[in-house]
Amino acid sequence: MNKMKPLKLLDIARKTGVVTIRYPNKPPLITSEFRGRIVIDASKCIGCGACVNICPSNALTIKETYDKRIINYFIGRCIYCGSCADVCPVKAITITKDFELATDNIRDLNNRVVHYKAVCCRCGSERHAPENMIKFVIRRVPVAETYAHMATNCKKRKFVEGMLHGRGMLYVEAK
Amino acid sequence: MVEGCSMLKPSNMLKKSIWVFHLNTGGCNACDIEILDVLTPYFDVERFGIKLVASPRHADLVLLTGPITRKTLPKVIRTLRAVPRPRLILAIGACAVGGGIWHDSYGVIGGIEALKKVLEEQGVVIDKLVYVPGCPARPEAIIYGVAVLLGIAKPKVKETEVEVIVK
Ligand code: SF4
Ligand code: SF4
Ligand code: SF4
Repeated sequence: MNKMKPLKLLDIARKTGVVTIRYPNKPPLITSEFRGRIVIDASKCIGCGACVNICPSNALTIKETYDKRIINYFIGRCIYCGSCADVCPVKAITITKDFELATDNIRDLNNRVVHYKAVCCRCGSERHAPENMIKFVIRRVPVAETYAHMATNCKKRKFVEGMLHGRGMLYVEAK
Repeated sequence: MVEGCSMLKPSNMLKKSIWVFHLNTGGCNACDIEILDVLTPYFDVERFGIKLVASPRHADLVLLTGPITRKTLPKVIRTLRAVPRPRLILAIGACAVGGGIWHDSYGVIGGIEALKKVLEEQGVVIDKLVYVPGCPARPEAIIYGVAVLLGIAKPKVKETEVEVIVK
């Protein structure tokens, strides 16, 4: 019986055939559920930072400078959870099926979207939010138009002035 | 030029089979399962001459997974010191590349970038390092990473910076 064992194995091997996939020569098996890297569509993104808040591994980070807001996507830390695509209010993030991301230079793994901030309409110097975000807010809440173009400090001042004016404590001369 | 550097030319490296040593530095094990997947008959990397060895002294390439916890750091340094030159490393998974979901945890040093600094202090030279992102990295992604390391494939990802046009 034991002598027959190798023959049996041969029989099994013949029935099973070749199981090895020919990956580099043929495309790999990618199912519809597979999630790869994400891609941020810069023409849609408004720079709100919702994706940065939800990202569990801080693969998406936000950097504020005086006149820019930079959203940085570092592929090397992304866990491909897809939460960012869910929360994006303008659906700017798409989950691709891209997984061939190996590289020998870690800088290759950074993708940046740079937003320029708008100038305050009242003081004309302070910068506050990306232009596209202001437009998005006004489209959603038309009432916000008075305040949306103003930087934070001017917003506060205008609000206080408005209150004082309403109670008759502030007299504004007519032009 | 560091010694052993001529060995690093892709044409020279292709002449011999790559023997790999698998080093988990505190990852969740999913990346390790994918590495085992690569070695099974289904992906069968032995057809490319890639073979798993039990000792770092026999290895050409270290498959490093995990965010390098404080506990494993001394062992990682010892292991890498035992690997003969040219010392090649494949950092597999989000943990190894950038610290992953634990990048700012107190228990880890935060991926291969932090390890590189420690190794520099310790005098352990890394001849080539390739990053394979993914959580876990797919078996195909690991095979692709080895191809990039050997210079057979060119890296596809590029650093991008897009400035938003105001509509
Ligand atoms: S897929 Fe998940 S981990 Fe990756 S950038 Fe989006 S939220 Fe962050
Ligand atoms: S959530 Fe969407 S719109 Fe907001 S910053 Fe992220 S990609 Fe841009
Ligand atoms: S990269 Fe993801 S799958 Fe791999 S060890 Fe880290 S947490 Fe686990």
